[in-house]
Amino acid sequence: MNKVITGNHAVSYGAQLARSQVIAAYPITPQTQVVELLSEFCASGKLNAKFIKVESEHSAMAACLAASAAGARAFTATSAHGLALMHEMLHWAAGARLPVVLANINRAMGPGWSVWTDQNDSLSQRDLGWIQLYCESNQEVLDTTIQAFKIAEKVLLPVMIILDAFVLSHTSEPVDIPEQELVDKFLPPYDLKTKLDLANPKSYGALTNPDHYYEMRYKIAKAQSESLKVIKEVDLDFYEHFGRKYGIVETYRCDDAKVILVTSGTITGTARTIINEMRERGRKVGLLKQKLFRPTPFEELRSILYKAQKIAVIDRNISFGHSGIFAQEIKSALYGLAGAPPIFDYIIGIGGRDVTPDDIREIIDNTFKTEAPQEPIIWRGVRL
Amino acid sequence: MKWLEKYKISPPVLEKESDYPDWAISLVPTLLNRTGTWRIFRPIYENKVPPCNNECPTNEKIQGYFDYVKQGKLLDAYKLILEDNPFPSITGRVCYHPCEGVCNRKDYDESLAIHCVERYIGDWGIKHVPFAKPREKRKETVAIIGSGPAGMAAAYYLTLDGFNVTIFERKTKLGGMLRYGIPAYRLPKKILDSEFKKLTALGVKFKVNCAIGKDITLDSLRKSYDYIIIGHGAHKNRPLGIPNENAAGVFSGLEFLFQINSGKKPKIRKKVAIIGGGNTAIDAARSSLRLGSIPTILYRRTRTEMPAVPDEVDAAEKEGIKIEFLVAPVKVKATKKGKVTGIELIKMKLGKPDASGRRRPVPVEKSNFVLKFNNIISAIGEQVDLSMLSKDIEKSEWGVKADNIGRTNIPNVFAVGDCVTGPKTVVEAFGAGKRAALKILGETDKIKFKAEMRNAGEASMNQRPVKFTDLNLDYFEHANKIPGPEIQVAARKKNCKEVHTGYNKAMFKQETERCFSCGVCNKCDNCFVLCPDLSVLKDAGDYEFDYDYCKGCGVCARECPRYAITMLEESKVEVE
Repeated sequence: MNKVITGNHAVSYGAQLARSQVIAAYPITPQTQVVELLSEFCASGKLNAKFIKVESEHSAMAACLAASAAGARAFTATSAHGLALMHEMLHWAAGARLPVVLANINRAMGPGWSVWTDQNDSLSQRDLGWIQLYCESNQEVLDTTIQAFKIAEKVLLPVMIILDAFVLSHTSEPVDIPEQELVDKFLPPYDLKTKLDLANPKSYGALTNPDHYYEMRYKIAKAQSESLKVIKEVDLDFYEHFGRKYGIVETYRCDDAKVILVTSGTITGTARTIINEMRERGRKVGLLKQKLFRPTPFEELRSILYKAQKIAVIDRNISFGHSGIFAQEIKSALYGLAGAPPIFDYIIGIGGRDVTPDDIREIIDNTFKTEAPQEPIIWRGVRL
Repeated sequence: MKWLEKYKISPPVLEKESDYPDWAISLVPTLLNRTGTWRIFRPIYENKVPPCNNECPTNEKIQGYFDYVKQGKLLDAYKLILEDNPFPSITGRVCYHPCEGVCNRKDYDESLAIHCVERYIGDWGIKHVPFAKPREKRKETVAIIGSGPAGMAAAYYLTLDGFNVTIFERKTKLGGMLRYGIPAYRLPKKILDSEFKKLTALGVKFKVNCAIGKDITLDSLRKSYDYIIIGHGAHKNRPLGIPNENAAGVFSGLEFLFQINSGKKPKIRKKVAIIGGGNTAIDAARSSLRLGSIPTILYRRTRTEMPAVPDEVDAAEKEGIKIEFLVAPVKVKATKKGKVTGIELIKMKLGKPDASGRRRPVPVEKSNFVLKFNNIISAIGEQVDLSMLSKDIEKSEWGVKADNIGRTNIPNVFAVGDCVTGPKTVVEAFGAGKRAALKILGETDKIKFKAEMRNAGEASMNQRPVKFTDLNLDYFEHANKIPGPEIQVAARKKNCKEVHTGYNKAMFKQETERCFSCGVCNKCDNCFVLCPDLSVLKDAGDYEFDYDYCKGCGVCARECPRYAITMLEESKVEVE
């Protein structure tokens, strides 16, 4: 069924079709519509789930964790400050190996107070053990939400789906909403082997001395790297059911590209148009969309980017005192490869400032005409 | 790890990677402690010993009867007192109330006026509650020598359990020091008579005007009674040991009080000197005032060392009685015909502490001086008259030798009260009498004795009483003590009206509400309301912890206003 819906509602439909059993959330702009629609689904009986109203995001995640540990498929959504407030429980989710799915609408952190998009909220949570998937379109949001549960439950790691505030969350696009029957075929019911059992009560998450803690962290790291394979398999499996796939990274006209642009989220859509325009003018430029941020798709990044002469990374985020975060990641992926191309790190669009076609054109032109980056970070359009 | 054995669980060995759980899940079930290892302490309801109960020489359950009063259960309150002290109308008036000295409330605002509350309940009981009857019939007989407080208490508990008790009293009327020592303005005779009705109702037999050693011998009593309890008190006046102390106009304190309490008026004139700093001295001074004289107390140490009850000293001073400190008598001044004209005194100063811990008075050389008086009352202490006791009974420095439950060296012969300890207090005599009675009960019924002794507070003695710092004061509002009302000083002259008039109902209720109920749960619901895990269950008013959910956070124990919850280490919990 095709429907014109916002990115937020695409999340809601995804969570509904995945038959979430417990939804605990606290409203925050720009996420509110996600749980608003889900609460309506719960109220009308369209979704048979327990909707738990909580007093904070910290509690929202705590409730999801408890539900997940008890054997229920749990879902929540949040944004920026809500995600930050959840931070402790985000650690817990990974540490407890509970396959909770969370949709985060990328919003800039205050102060100054902002509701507009950038990626610093989700990228601040990169080291916790969560799988992170950045989406470009509303269809991708819906599809990724369904995939997320399957991935999470296979590898026993929590998954975060990420979409840009307003540019995607509040923008309507036609979306194909799959049939429930088909989704059920793709996604089996949640079955946690270690779920809470009254007949065999155990202590969960208690004091763990150095004899055991280290091994548990090792297992999280191992699960993260092994999940790469699973994420790819789930995407193919999804393709077989629904005819759509996304890959962990997507390449666009990269084959003979001298410059490859690296993007994530909605900037990708703008960039794709400009690439076409540039190609018509004869510029050999390609695009790499990094959808999967954690675990890092090292192999893909290396094999694709190594072929380019220059790489331009567009970062809608900043790690203060270092650089754009995607640029760091790509640098580390290419480290040690002889003759690896120089990497230009463009910071742009922070706090929801528009990233226009002109911006992308100038970034590409600048990369072509400059032999190597003059500065470690290139602040695009700073008014100072 | 006893419980692992109980549940026949052996923890798995972690060798391969797959042996490890994916995350921190216990390797074995937590069947014993369902909240898992998070809880390392568990709360338990455990009532502690309130300091007042602990300090009371009869171990009255003071907190307990205050609690009953708060619930409006006056009859239960009265009965609870009688379990430990049969005569609360007496102690409510004359007890030196050590309970109030240790009341935790004193560190908050003012201690409770426990004696005022006790008195109200006691008087209410006499008026409204039928006297007890013996609970059973027995054949054993007991002779009690002396009808003072020690004998009274022993007689009460023994007859209550069916013993046949006869009290031998050398005087015409009953009560010993309670009648002849304590003036009526402190303890009206009709109150004493009412309390004696409790003994009459129980069937205690009295033989008055019967002096042991004169009218009947102790040996003959030992032949005809199963048990003997000696409680004849300390009635012998200690002599001053100075010239002219036998001159006309010199009284012994006890003799002076005896005359007044027998309804006579001792012939004293205007200026009266009372020598001594104990309760007898104060009683004699305040009695002289009521006979129209101007009394002066002469004491060889300072106020701090006075053995008299501080409240009584205060009352004497309030009534205008002068106390001369640091003076000791040297000689009674008398005319040739032997009529008192005054007393020669020597000034004293305080030296090093003596055996009693008080600083010893030392004479200041050449500081003698004379004060004019018409009468002298000597009240420097009482001794025990041991002349009527047979030689085979062991004596001590103070009197008859007996342990704290009254056992002497002779089987079935007990001694209690002042005749063992020298002059002490009414409440201590009540306590001693009760303990001896319980011991005798125990000799005939061992199981009961054990229970009764616990009841008497022996077990509680081993536990630390609740301290002020154990309480959670956030739950108490400040409220000053309601002072016991008393008649005007001017109205006390030339009569023996009772000084204290006792609480009215409103005062009684208000004062009772001030009790912290130290260490004893009074169902305030704090734990029930505040438990974050809803793990306090309430069943018919009693609380219970649900250890399947309690995570041992300790909020209940911390927020218990009265320290009735203890946090117990899980490792010390016994496996059932």
